[in-house]
Amino acid sequence: MSTSNRRYAGVQVRVVPAAVLACLLLAACDHRDPEPAAQGAAAPPAVAYEAHVAAGGVAPPGGTLSNPHQGDKAVAAAGANLFTAMNCDGCHGPEGSGAVGPNLGDGRWRYGGADAEVFSSIYYGRPKGMPAFGGAMGADGVWTLVTYLRSLAPPDNLPTESFESAAK
Amino acid sequence: MRASAAASITLFLCAAAVAAGVRAAPAAAQDDGQWPMPAKDYASTRYSKLTAITPQNAPGLHPVWTFSTGVLGGHEGQPLVVGDTMYVVTPWPNVLYAFDLTKEGYPLRWKYRPEVSANAIGVSCCDTVNRGAFYVDGKIIYNLLDGHTVAVDAKSGTQLWKTQVADVSGGETVTMAPLVVKERVLVGASGGEFGIYGWVKALDLKSGAIVWTARNIGPDADMLAKPGDFKAPYDSGADLGTHSWAEDTWRTGGAPVWGWMSYDPELDLVYYGTGNASPYNAEQRLGDNKWTASVLARRPADGSLVWAYQFTPHDNWDYDAAGAMVLADLQIGGKPIKALVHFDKNGFAYTLDRATGRLLLAQPFANVTWAKSIDLATGRPVLDPSKQTGASRGSVKGICPSLEGGVSPSSPPAYSPRTHLFYSSTNNLCMDYASARASHLRGTPFMGINSPYSAGPGGNLGTFMAWDAATGKKVWENKETYPNWSGALVTAGDVAFYGTLDGWFKSVDARTGKVLSKFKVGSGVVGNPITYRGPDGKQYVAVYAGIGGDWLLLSGDVRSDDPTDVRAPADYIKDIAGHTSQGGIIWIFGL
Repeated sequence: MSTSNRRYAGVQVRVVPAAVLACLLLAACDHRDPEPAAQGAAAPPAVAYEAHVAAGGVAPPGGTLSNPHQGDKAVAAAGANLFTAMNCDGCHGPEGSGAVGPNLGDGRWRYGGADAEVFSSIYYGRPKGMPAFGGAMGADGVWTLVTYLRSLAPPDNLPTESFESAAK
Repeated sequence: MRASAAASITLFLCAAAVAAGVRAAPAAAQDDGQWPMPAKDYASTRYSKLTAITPQNAPGLHPVWTFSTGVLGGHEGQPLVVGDTMYVVTPWPNVLYAFDLTKEGYPLRWKYRPEVSANAIGVSCCDTVNRGAFYVDGKIIYNLLDGHTVAVDAKSGTQLWKTQVADVSGGETVTMAPLVVKERVLVGASGGEFGIYGWVKALDLKSGAIVWTARNIGPDADMLAKPGDFKAPYDSGADLGTHSWAEDTWRTGGAPVWGWMSYDPELDLVYYGTGNASPYNAEQRLGDNKWTASVLARRPADGSLVWAYQFTPHDNWDYDAAGAMVLADLQIGGKPIKALVHFDKNGFAYTLDRATGRLLLAQPFANVTWAKSIDLATGRPVLDPSKQTGASRGSVKGICPSLEGGVSPSSPPAYSPRTHLFYSSTNNLCMDYASARASHLRGTPFMGINSPYSAGPGGNLGTFMAWDAATGKKVWENKETYPNWSGALVTAGDVAFYGTLDGWFKSVDARTGKVLSKFKVGSGVVGNPITYRGPDGKQYVAVYAGIGGDWLLLSGDVRSDDPTDVRAPADYIKDIAGHTSQGGIIWIFGL
């Protein structure tokens, strides 16, 4: 990522989730410019990806982002509504179970599952078709979605699917 | 009514393919052994006059060659065979392969790897499919998922032109098979799940320049519906494409074109079906929503609209009419009729007069609950009010067919002028349909739907059937365990061919449906079989294996390609992944 990817760093978030949802929908429907995100003066270049292999064993300096709503069940519930309202389910299926886009409820993440990494995926989008939602939703909307997605409990014994038992 | 005398089909040979000199022009009664366009001929019959394979010898059919395309997406569409070369287009990234059929092992003459944006993957509702190429005038013409049409030199593989036709950022992708008529390359866009303003465009065959654009909804000026030229058989008045929509909801009303096109050179009309209305929540777009879920007839030269007929007014159920329009000359009630036959997602098979768009017959070929019948006087369905949907109605139960269709538009039928029968895959699924208010956010899905599926009566999820379009009656059907998603092929040897979702490729007796041969081809079949005469003079049958096409239907657990994307089986089709997984393979069968 380039150094221009700094806009979200240092965003202050103090909004009630329900109000956030209403604002976001209004913004989306009216095609208005999103709320400009604050720019941190000494912002790091990007999110640090914990699982990436570091060449030479030396991790590059990277930013840290923390989810202001981490573990907040009310925000997670608002995020479930937002998941439908922003049409996420159109690609990722009901409750993120997977359709043209990947399953988001399996506890596995193509681009990293830390809150900051999921934030980055939604805010900036990803190759292979994940749209960048940061412009339409702003940082707090994205954090609301992250809180919801991180609340989904992966199924037990995910790796194994037995067809012999399914047939009986 | 009963079919009395022999129906006959007018086969429109691809003059350009013959003129290219790759093989001597055939005598009228003979098949030239090629497969130069998606459905073999302009009438979209998928019928070959080759006779070497018969019900007697078909049990001896066996694979003679396979080739992995290296691509995992759903392999819809079909190869082309022109002269001694086979051409294959893959799903995204839309590689074009040219195989030399004269050499042992059919090595590649060349392959063409266009640059195709990966962003298009996320704007594809239903997998990254491609429904095939068209050969004409020494060119292979096909569409790229990211909204481009390309022409490639058939001998060298060199790109001749590349034109942007669709806008991925607005939810448009291109998956359909183009049709070339004279100097016009006709293409349309997918995006009924993204609130597009659906269209068809004509490109100049030589330069690729866009000559005309015709919308499928909207004002007459945008639809190229000119006073005096356009006559809808059951409607009158100006601007039907806006007046049949609440407010200006037509602007994001869908009507994509993602299937097939046909052409009648005598009437000089191009026919194609339009997809669903957007969004899926019908209460956000009150009115008939013309001309979504419709068949449109246009002049290829300037695009002017001649007639249109709507199969599903005010689509409440995602009943796209993108499936093939087969042109056949039938005897109906003792009279010769230039007919257009269409198997719709809504479960009815329609026989229309293709000169006027007037409805002649409409009978259900699948289990139907949303409508009782189609009124031949008005052309409109007789609805069951309890199956109307919308966000205010909650989850409406027991709607059949499901939104996967009584047949998928991806699975085109075949017609034999020898048996006078149409051959088609079907799906036997029902659904509950829960709409929700959808917000339009450019470049993201515009749907508002949760629609769990269940098996229809009998429990088998699909069939392959033979249908008499002159009487509206099913003649025979083979029950299949899973929804059947392959296209059909029928030959003058009276053998029909299809594949199943769990990966069996079958030949059957075209008169009885009796299975003559079957072979497990390595992945579920959602492609369309073709037949051709090889350089050695023998008849071959080719088909793609490669399950895919709709990840809401196909149970995501057939995927094994991404360790960060592990899905549970779909409850109505629980064990499909016990029989197949993804992977694109071209198969050729011979005797």
